[in-house]
Amino acid sequence: MGSGSQGFASQTRGHYWKISMVALGVTCAVGIGLYRLAHFYVLNEAERNIEAVLLAQKGIHRYISEVMHPTFFKLKAKGLVSEEFYAPEILSSSFIVRNEHKAYNEERKAAGLDAVYYKMAAINPRNPVNKADALEEKLIRMFNENREVKKYREVVRIDGKDYLYVALPFLVNQEKCLKCHGDRQEAPLGLQALYPGLGGFNEKVGQIRAIESIRAPMERQYFLLYIVVASAFAGLVVLAGLLLFATRLRDMVRERTQELEQEVAERRRAEEEVRKANEELEERVEERTVQIATANKELDSFAYSVSHDLRAPLRGIDGFSQALLEDYGERLDDTAKDYISRVRAGCLRMGDLIDDMLQLSRMSRGEIHRQEVDLSGMAGEIAEELQRSAPQRRVVFEITPGITVFGDANLLRAVLDNLLGNAWKFTSKTAEARIIFGRQEEGGKDVLFVRDNGAGFDMAYADKLFGTFQRLHSIQEFEGTGIGLATVQRIIHRHGGSIRAEGSVGRGATFYFSV
Amino acid sequence: MILLVEDNPDDEALTLRALQKHNILNEVVVARDGAEALDFLYGTGAYAGRDLDVMPEVVLLDLNLPKINGLEVLGNIRANAKTRLLPVVILTTSNEEQDKLKSYTLGANSFIRKPVDFQQFSEAIRQLGVYWLLLNQAPPAVKG
Repeated sequence: MGSGSQGFASQTRGHYWKISMVALGVTCAVGIGLYRLAHFYVLNEAERNIEAVLLAQKGIHRYISEVMHPTFFKLKAKGLVSEEFYAPEILSSSFIVRNEHKAYNEERKAAGLDAVYYKMAAINPRNPVNKADALEEKLIRMFNENREVKKYREVVRIDGKDYLYVALPFLVNQEKCLKCHGDRQEAPLGLQALYPGLGGFNEKVGQIRAIESIRAPMERQYFLLYIVVASAFAGLVVLAGLLLFATRLRDMVRERTQELEQEVAERRRAEEEVRKANEELEERVEERTVQIATANKELDSFAYSVSHDLRAPLRGIDGFSQALLEDYGERLDDTAKDYISRVRAGCLRMGDLIDDMLQLSRMSRGEIHRQEVDLSGMAGEIAEELQRSAPQRRVVFEITPGITVFGDANLLRAVLDNLLGNAWKFTSKTAEARIIFGRQEEGGKDVLFVRDNGAGFDMAYADKLFGTFQRLHSIQEFEGTGIGLATVQRIIHRHGGSIRAEGSVGRGATFYFSV
Repeated sequence: MILLVEDNPDDEALTLRALQKHNILNEVVVARDGAEALDFLYGTGAYAGRDLDVMPEVVLLDLNLPKINGLEVLGNIRANAKTRLLPVVILTTSNEEQDKLKSYTLGANSFIRKPVDFQQFSEAIRQLGVYWLLLNQAPPAVKG
């Protein structure tokens, strides 16, 4: 039982861990995905910022090259502008844009925003301010070598801050560009005067001269990342909490399950014990029943033997005593005759005892055949028989009519025979004898009674009345074997009833019984 | 003629005394067990060659007998064509319901319990004699 439940628990535990791992994995994957998404979004945001700046500046570049330059050259052709005139504030797009961006950054600063690094980087700039740094130079070469690459992007960290860095190929030298960026000798004199170095000259058509190098801060956008990560972490904490709770719950369920299983096992064991006990009891009852049946059988044969074998010699003793008296009576004196009559009386008494004992034994065994029995009618018959046996006696019988009970007619007849017989016997010396058979209620139950106004008995001996061979009167006073009431009690008990007696010396007796 | 089947010599003597006392002078054949009773009735054993046309007017049959008991004897008598009409009176010490029931079921004509009191016993025997030997008409003899 125990090992089985443990196996079940470990199986559950394995299952549980598997689920936990899967849940954790899913959480991590989702977290990573979210991080990636946020990162992508942040980059995108930064790039859009950069794009906005770039597009604005591209617009300025275009305005300079498409509007200002042609206008300037037209004015120059008309002779309105001197051939040598050159002013970067008006003619250099890089100069204008650089300074415009400087102003833009100042505006940003005023608005509380971080500055955006911007540079029109070139390897060979006219103004050293535009000189490409190592990365920018490398990128310019890379863009020149790989014309299909249109953008370089990277996240860089400067002073613990993340920036999105973007580089775009910007200027591809055209024929017209060479007016100012070709041979130094061909360039306007004003330009030559302004920029004495070789920077910005000797460019070739088709060459990428400069890149736009721009770096925008990402800190604000990272704020979003923090939220995402914090959310994921919070999610993880909640999940961990749930897992912990699930563990506790699972432990509780397991404990309770084990308790219940134990309870069930105990109950089953108890039931098994009860069943065994029942079986044993049944076996014992069966054994005892067989024993009782055997004992009853033995009792039957014993009673039969007594009935036969004890009576036969008695008859012999009585018969031959009588024969002695009849045949040799004249040769015997009165004392001898008295002795013989005593022998005969003893025989008869013993015969009665045997008969009564047989009745007691017969009433104690055999089956009870219950039926509706008219006790009033039965009592009437017995009264008549008693009256007939001694017509000279004057006894008043009062029998309540209509008393019926459910019981064995033969056995109940023996009860009334004995009780009424006793009443008859013990009123033999009473002047106005009265015998009553009636019914009264006691505690909601019908109790029957036989009452007489005869010799009665001392209540001190009430408990001895129903004992076998118990007599409260001498044989000389009232004949009897002392078995009658024992028989009555046994019959009443066999019917599940009870019997008791009340009386006092000289004032009669009452026997109460229920069936 | 009376066939008295009785194993107890005291009872036998007392029965004979009672019969004699009441002047019942019919011949009494005494069988001391069931086998002897059947031998007499069928002319076998010690009674081989007996005139079987002479049958007792009544059989006084005790139940508790050696060898073959009274109920078996009764059953045998009733099963045999020659004896099945014989009046059989069970004369026993028993007062058992079972014995009465079995006896009557097997076809006993009467069931008398021997009283202990010899005067009562003697009276019973007298009445038996008067009834079965004088009053009662015996069944016609079965030929064969």
